[in-house]
Amino acid sequence: MMSKTIIARPAVLLLFCVSALPALAGLTAAFWVGLDPAAMSRVVATPGIGLSIASSFWTGSVATVLALLLAHLAVALAVSGNWQRRLNALILPLLAMPHLAIGIGLALVLAPSGVLLRLLSPWATGFELPPDWLIVNDPAGLSLLAGLVLKETCFLVMALGAALGQVPAARLQTLSATMGYGPLKSWLATVAPALQQQIRLPLAAVFVFGISNVEMAIPLGPDLPPTFSVLLWRWFTDPDPAIHAQAYAGTLLLFVGGIAAILAANFIGGLARKLLRASAESGARRNTEWPVRRLIAAVLASGFILGLLSIVAIGLRAFSRQWRFPALLPDHSSSDIWTDVAALSASVATTTLALAAATALLGVALVLPAAERCKQSADARRQIGAWLFLPLLLPQMTFLFGVQVLLIRMRIDGTFIAVLWSHLIFALPYLWGLLAPARAAIDPRFDQVAATLGVSPAKRWLTVTAPLLARSTLLALALAVSVSVALYLPTLFAGAGRIATAASEAAAAAGSGNLRLAAAHAILLAVIPLCIFAIAYATGSLLFRHRRGVPR
Amino acid sequence: MMALSIDKLSLCINGQVLFAPLSLCVEPGSITSIIGASGVGKSSLLDFLCGILPPEITAAGSARIGNEDIGNLPPQARGLGRLFQEPLLFPHLDVAGNLLFGLRRGNSRRERRERVAAALASVGLEGFEQRDPMTLSGGQQARVALLRVLLAEPRALLLDEPFHSLDDDNRRLVRDLVFAKAKQRDLPTLLVTHDQEDVAAACGAVIQLQAHV
Repeated sequence: MMSKTIIARPAVLLLFCVSALPALAGLTAAFWVGLDPAAMSRVVATPGIGLSIASSFWTGSVATVLALLLAHLAVALAVSGNWQRRLNALILPLLAMPHLAIGIGLALVLAPSGVLLRLLSPWATGFELPPDWLIVNDPAGLSLLAGLVLKETCFLVMALGAALGQVPAARLQTLSATMGYGPLKSWLATVAPALQQQIRLPLAAVFVFGISNVEMAIPLGPDLPPTFSVLLWRWFTDPDPAIHAQAYAGTLLLFVGGIAAILAANFIGGLARKLLRASAESGARRNTEWPVRRLIAAVLASGFILGLLSIVAIGLRAFSRQWRFPALLPDHSSSDIWTDVAALSASVATTTLALAAATALLGVALVLPAAERCKQSADARRQIGAWLFLPLLLPQMTFLFGVQVLLIRMRIDGTFIAVLWSHLIFALPYLWGLLAPARAAIDPRFDQVAATLGVSPAKRWLTVTAPLLARSTLLALALAVSVSVALYLPTLFAGAGRIATAASEAAAAAGSGNLRLAAAHAILLAVIPLCIFAIAYATGSLLFRHRRGVPR
Repeated sequence: MMALSIDKLSLCINGQVLFAPLSLCVEPGSITSIIGASGVGKSSLLDFLCGILPPEITAAGSARIGNEDIGNLPPQARGLGRLFQEPLLFPHLDVAGNLLFGLRRGNSRRERRERVAAALASVGLEGFEQRDPMTLSGGQQARVALLRVLLAEPRALLLDEPFHSLDDDNRRLVRDLVFAKAKQRDLPTLLVTHDQEDVAAACGAVIQLQAHV
């Protein structure tokens, strides 16, 4: 037992060295370089800067509130209606889809010449030509809001689902049912407040992402002026180096915004609990919940269909040249377009897949030994989880810019290793969240039985622990692949613009307004996560399919 | 076979002594029963013998098989067979896989398979090799768990209320089987139990473990 502790402790340290340490070092470096009064005053003097910052906060905060509301309603509806497993399966494709892909797809659906109006034209609207409406990139940021709500609702549903294990949901439900409450109301009044307490970190991450993202704001966000994060992104990618100092200083403002977002998320979470509790104390009951349930289901379903449509739209746009307006499908999809897209994305696909595979394998290899160390201590698991989560609570641009400064000092900026490292920072919190509890859930007596049968520790791990972890590990690999594929800013900063992945190409194309090219790259963004999850689930259910006792 | 002996053993959890210093000797082929209130440290006593005490429990005293002190050996080198309160068959292996896991190395693959088949037949489970352990009844699982322990050729047997979770009929059958196998192999056996019937059937020494005050 003792020797194991000693071997495993470095495993935990290593995890910090790969993740939280560079994030904090990057933050420090960002302050070191970015604190420049002259540049800061130029940032503040930028025309429209106030509107930029306001639209970042407006979209980020409203998206967070709506996503939280919808996520609670979705989970309440699903669990109280006994289809929670189906809900998890339903959100998986949207959850696995990168923000950038959903953003590009939604732009193709919502635009005046988009799929939505084609579905209604000309029979319902009478349009023979796309109308002159500013729907996508609208100044109020409504389409950006829609995209954020779509993605973040799925993320929060997942977070709520993960928290479900820590709340005695079934007992609370039965208890309030005996007091005359319907399943939906008893869920919202008794279980949801406890769950809300458990998802404080994910909620803060959603808010921070909401105000600081570029992945959705580039294809969907307002244009003149853009959101603050997109403005910074334009400065960072500007060919004129004189502009860069402004970007450096701007990331510090973004950091302050991130802190404000965390505080605001905390406030929203507290408010949500207060409201849920107030509804519990009101004592109001309904004889039938069906009308309310139908209404909620309809809202959720329309959002879900919008998400699926945007995935379909990416495919249609990528494999077509001509797409006259009211026609629902492109004119022709010839084979030379296929070869076009293939030639375009072959080398990008290789880089993207290599990065994703390396991130997944290395990430799992880093997490498993540390999870082994923490299998007996829920406190240790939670603390390590919180540290690993830290990079998700910082605006990506602030600390990534600092990381880039450090990478240049180390002379490894623009290398595969540097980008891999930056991807690991973002994959590790998810891997930990999945694998650490899965490891802890394995009955320790299996290992003890194997020990009394005369088997050495290393062989015990290989023959008993590893097989019981196999299914979770497969899912973890798929999760890490989908995280890595989706990452744009880490690739941009650590790769110094020299490493081209599907995400970086799609973002660049969307940034220059070329949605067809963006869609061609977004195809990879959409297909890789979907395929990898399909493979992981299929393999997982084939493995041990005649063994009922193996954990799912 | 050699005797299993414990000399002046006391266990401490967070500085609190669990039971009065315990010394005992179990001769080969005999079964010593240990009874006592729950929480007095009966299972921890077996954990100590197996070398798997949780870190918060410390032990003073020694344990020997014959003249060999086993206290400092790693768990896998102690050669003690233990039946836990539940069968704990590995869920990812079939019945034969569980038994092959227990069986010591050596011999050809075919001979190993034959030994497993013979072992299963000896407890009335012919042809159960390919079965998923989760599809077996409690009594059947208990018998497979016993075989798994015996195939590892232990020097002593530790029983931690292994009949507790079985229904009345199965309890008698499995108990008779376990005791018969232990005697047949001349193993010193230590039985931890709550059940007076177990104690009576063991026909051996009885030690009442009392909380240290």
